[in-house]
Amino acid sequence: MSMNLSHFEAALLFSLFTSVVLGIVTKSTDRQRLHYGAYVFACFMVALFGIGWIMRLGHG
Amino acid sequence: MAKEIEPKRKQSMPPIGAWAPAVALGWLVPGGGHLLLKRTGRGLLLGASITGMFVCGLLMRGAMFQPQSGDLLTTLINTGGFIGDVCSGILYLLTSWLGYAQADMAGAVHDYGTKFLVTAGLLNVLAMVDAFEIAAGRKD
Repeated sequence: MSMNLSHFEAALLFSLFTSVVLGIVTKSTDRQRLHYGAYVFACFMVALFGIGWIMRLGHG
Repeated sequence: MAKEIEPKRKQSMPPIGAWAPAVALGWLVPGGGHLLLKRTGRGLLLGASITGMFVCGLLMRGAMFQPQSGDLLTTLINTGGFIGDVCSGILYLLTSWLGYAQADMAGAVHDYGTKFLVTAGLLNVLAMVDAFEIAAGRKD
């Protein structure tokens, strides 16, 4: 059994798991945890699309 | 009169018996430290996320690092990666005992898998630190 993901899918999964853990361990109330987890996930997405486009444009 | 700045009080180390079981269980079972400290929701979420990341790494056929000596970069990457893998606790131990030995292969998916495996261990370190802070009474 194996998983064959695209770059995007793998990065999406990575972002999701990491955001959940960072949200839980860094804040002290559930509301803050939810907000911070969502914020970290959004940052991952911005970086993912931003760097993706930079590479595409840079590649010509 | 200028306001005196209060010196930051150094936090004393709590007794080892207060935090060692939570940290040790947190290493062995991701999220286990939180479960022991009755933070069930957080413990289950941490366990699911870290285990999910590790299992995805295995399904992507990521490679486990082995400590290697050589030049500085090789030593740093392989020893650091090995420590990251070991930090996953029972997940790493079971995988090793059951004979998972994926060679390091070229390919984006394998590479992602290797990073997923190491990151699962590093996230577990964060969970262990959080369990320590809860057990020491520094955090709810």
